[in-house]
Amino acid sequence: MIRKTSVPLTALGLVSAVWIALSFAGSLPQPSLIPDHTVISNPGEAPRFLADAWQLPDDPLLGFVEITAGPFLMGSDATIDPMAFDIERWSSTNAQVVLELPTYYIGRFEVTVAQIRSFVQATGYPIDGQALSGAPEHPASFISWPDALAYSRWLDKILRISADTPEALSTLLEGGGQVTLPTEAEWEKAARGTDGRIYPWGSEPRPDRATYRARGTTAVGSHQCPECPFGLSDMAGNVWEWTRSPYQPYPYDPTDDSENLENESLWVMRGGSFTDPERFVRGANRGGGDPGARRAFIGFRIAISPSE
Amino acid sequence: MSAARRRKEWQKDQEHRVQLPNQPGGRTLDSTPGLQVLTAPAVLTLTLVALSFLPRIQSNLALAISIWGAAIVLLAWLLMLYLKLRHEHASRTFQTMLRPQHYVQALVQLAVFAYWGLHWRPVYEFGTLLAAQLIFAYVFDMLLAWSRRETYTLGFGPFPIIFSINLFLWFRDDWFYLQFLMVGIGFLGKEFVRWKREGRTVHIFNPSAFSLGLFSLVLIATGTTDLTWGQEIASTLTLAPMIYLYLFLLGLVVMYFFSITLVSGAAAMVLFGLSALYTSLTGVPYFLDSEIPAAVFLGLHLLVTDPSTSPRSRAGKLVFGGLYGLGVFGLYSLLGAYGAPTFYDKLLAVPLLNLSVRGIDALIPVIRRSRAIKLLRLDWAPLGLNPVHMAIWIIFFGSMTAMGKTDGMHPGDSLPFWEQACAEDRQTACNRLIQLEASYCGDNSAWACNELGGHYRQGEIVSSDANLALGYFSRACELRFQPACVNLLDPGNFSRINPRALDLRLLLREGGQNLMEMTEPELYERACVQHDWDFACDKIMSAS
Repeated sequence: MIRKTSVPLTALGLVSAVWIALSFAGSLPQPSLIPDHTVISNPGEAPRFLADAWQLPDDPLLGFVEITAGPFLMGSDATIDPMAFDIERWSSTNAQVVLELPTYYIGRFEVTVAQIRSFVQATGYPIDGQALSGAPEHPASFISWPDALAYSRWLDKILRISADTPEALSTLLEGGGQVTLPTEAEWEKAARGTDGRIYPWGSEPRPDRATYRARGTTAVGSHQCPECPFGLSDMAGNVWEWTRSPYQPYPYDPTDDSENLENESLWVMRGGSFTDPERFVRGANRGGGDPGARRAFIGFRIAISPSE
Repeated sequence: MSAARRRKEWQKDQEHRVQLPNQPGGRTLDSTPGLQVLTAPAVLTLTLVALSFLPRIQSNLALAISIWGAAIVLLAWLLMLYLKLRHEHASRTFQTMLRPQHYVQALVQLAVFAYWGLHWRPVYEFGTLLAAQLIFAYVFDMLLAWSRRETYTLGFGPFPIIFSINLFLWFRDDWFYLQFLMVGIGFLGKEFVRWKREGRTVHIFNPSAFSLGLFSLVLIATGTTDLTWGQEIASTLTLAPMIYLYLFLLGLVVMYFFSITLVSGAAAMVLFGLSALYTSLTGVPYFLDSEIPAAVFLGLHLLVTDPSTSPRSRAGKLVFGGLYGLGVFGLYSLLGAYGAPTFYDKLLAVPLLNLSVRGIDALIPVIRRSRAIKLLRLDWAPLGLNPVHMAIWIIFFGSMTAMGKTDGMHPGDSLPFWEQACAEDRQTACNRLIQLEASYCGDNSAWACNELGGHYRQGEIVSSDANLALGYFSRACELRFQPACVNLLDPGNFSRINPRALDLRLLLREGGQNLMEMTEPELYERACVQHDWDFACDKIMSAS
């Protein structure tokens, strides 16, 4: 005998069972890839990072270093630097050129794994798991070009709205600065200084000054480099660093970056990586990277550039 | 024997009669009573566990745990049943009954899987999981039957239920335990959700359609469709060439054996008719890229046609089929308006129709007595014959095919068509354009991702959403589409170019396979001639 109420009650029971099961499915705790990291505390020489400031360096400008306006020598002259590649030559008539840049700021260190973890924790950005798996103070790798830009956008936003942002940095941003990737000219000036040196420390390769011909990355800032311009670290080796310049032949002209849209997309990477020999970690060397590439030897560094 | 005892015996006999299948067409073979039959579900459950050690299942821990969890539930149930029956000194038996409506239907469904899988490999890769579900279904069905009565009817019954569910919805590996839940609910629905019809207690819902409908509702309400392969399943049938013709031919087999022509034919005719009416009124197709989506065409042959949950009279079948067509048509718009995936249309309609069966049964005598039937001579005897229905259906489908309304190219396949229709502000055209571009972007057309990003940045045909725009630009940029990378750098502008040859291989596929082997001149020819893409015509002109 079937009671009249049994049909709707059974249906209701089944619906509830499925609902509960699916709700449970949707609310299972997700495994956290991000260990709780606080501060890298290596007293002495090693850089310190601030757990309460998105793991940025403990520094008045949170790791941004001013590169003052002025000229620098861009490109390579093969008669001075025999290791130069043709792509580094400015034009058929001039091997190098003096280029003027306005004041900008660039990160003292490459962006670290800990900083990327902060970003992902704050935003849920869908990043490659390998980008989060390295040691916290090592440079972030397995980062695509859009990933690097996404991090820059987030940091720009957070630095603008946070009450914890140092006043000097807030002023910079309010004055038209924008956290982004450096252009390749900005990167090259930061790496080579104004005197056109081949490596950040001078004109001869020095394995004690940078991580190259190595088996893996080292913690950012782990090499002392008193000769390096602007006090920047790892401008040679460790990881290739994305720039916001499309990979196209010199002469360099930032105003044509939005042209040649039909060309295959490649973006300039600078600095070489731990896997590379001396020739690739020279300050003028130019690498072209597929924007979707996520590799163990590709990372980035951020800059504050004047808004275009 | 006392009168009371006789009455009790008679009642027991009646119960037994109701519980035992009494449909014609099957062959039976009984087992001897005892508890030895319980070794069958035990062995099958252990087979299920063994299956979990295959590489396909071991490739995902959550999947393996789902199967082990299902096996634990079954073993626990089996143990409790065994202890209970031993305590009660009860026995259990089974009888075999091979019903053609089960094995013919299963063979037809298998033929669909075989052909579809030839052109979409995940179907074949899913084979192991299909086998796991079948084993689970048999054990579940046995335990359910033996928990409630003495005899289990062994046959091919679980095959069409499992195949039918899996032709429309699979959960992803990480959530596969929900697939077992869906199967279990199908059987529970069949066992418990019943009513009296024509003097017999029968299940109300088609078991597969019941669980599909129920899960569809919950997935829609919770916004968790991405736990399933539903969207992919609905859109990949057309990767198989001439899929409509293939389904039509398979459908004829089922129609011939089980007289479902009136249901399927009426549903198809209503859908074709309404679709044509909509197009004539609005200038755009109702369904995105077909007159009837291939998955709906499959559903009207193999999902809605369960004889035991549909009307038995010819007129009733006709009304039932017509209502399915109307239901799918209406639900498509309703789901679209709600922002839910529209592929649920065919799944939600069936349980609603199952519920309407008694109403239809009651309505039919009234219709039969109406003057219109007599005036139109619809009571003419030959019109009641299945071969006549099939002949009409064949002529109808043939005509639709000749008009290019089935496997041929459809105007909705063409992006320029929707761009134009959107620019002209035609009904739903801009939504369809977004939908189509999202689909191509999902297939890795960088051009489509960049266009989508542009729409969300500009906010002209869709609400502006800067984050969504950045997401689409990022995807396109990672696919090496330079304008998208530039768009990431410059939030104030929108850079775009025409589709590249690589994009055209996806954009021109017209629901079929990507055109990876086609030469570039052929691609531009197709883009120009079949899709009215101006840039492609210019390119051909400049090359000649």
